[in-house]
Amino acid sequence: MPRTWKDNHALFLIVIGLLAWVVPGGGHFALNQRRRAIVILVTVVLTFLVGLYAGSIGVIDPVNAKPWYVAQLMNSPAVFFLGQISASGQFPVFGRAGEIGQIYTSIAGLLNLLCIVNAIYTAHLEGLKGARA
Amino acid sequence: MTALTCTVLASFTTPMRIDTNAASMLWLIPLVVAIAVVYKATKVHQIRARAFAKETALLIGSIMVFVTVAALILYGVAWLVTEQLPAMAGGSVF
Repeated sequence: MPRTWKDNHALFLIVIGLLAWVVPGGGHFALNQRRRAIVILVTVVLTFLVGLYAGSIGVIDPVNAKPWYVAQLMNSPAVFFLGQISASGQFPVFGRAGEIGQIYTSIAGLLNLLCIVNAIYTAHLEGLKGARA
Repeated sequence: MTALTCTVLASFTTPMRIDTNAASMLWLIPLVVAIAVVYKATKVHQIRARAFAKETALLIGSIMVFVTVAALILYGVAWLVTEQLPAMAGGSVF
């Protein structure tokens, strides 16, 4: 039994944040904002896939491109597993296609980070409303 | 079915051929669209198809105009430094 409503509230925010990270738009979906969730899911996943298609999965490089990898990780924890696969170095990535792939996948991750923060903030506002009511 | 799956998966393991030329700048457009759509999705109070499309289109237009102006200014500066400055200095300035 939580001591105050804030204890529950913090857990609620963490769950929403995790949901939004695991599946882009998942946080908004849990907050009953279905349309917003679908728009976010489709856009972030499509941008990420276009990046992978343009540059190959070699653009997810946890060894030689760590700052880009951190941004890519914001897409979903699934990127971690893709990073493990591409860390073997058997997937070629070079030239303009590599640059574009890296930019697309990283921007998709940063967009999802924006959505994670937005979902947490929305959940926080809803929690405040619930506490006042 | 298996062949199709393999073809789709294989296309993600080799990079596309994209030349380094002016046309490759067009890759900016889908990225701007994605940024505008997600940003507006987090900003609007309620998502209604027509209003959302209008606001997103406006943001896409603003970004494209700003990027074009920035590109023109940078191109002008590069042209001055590489073409005009050496001519005024009577040779290479570097």
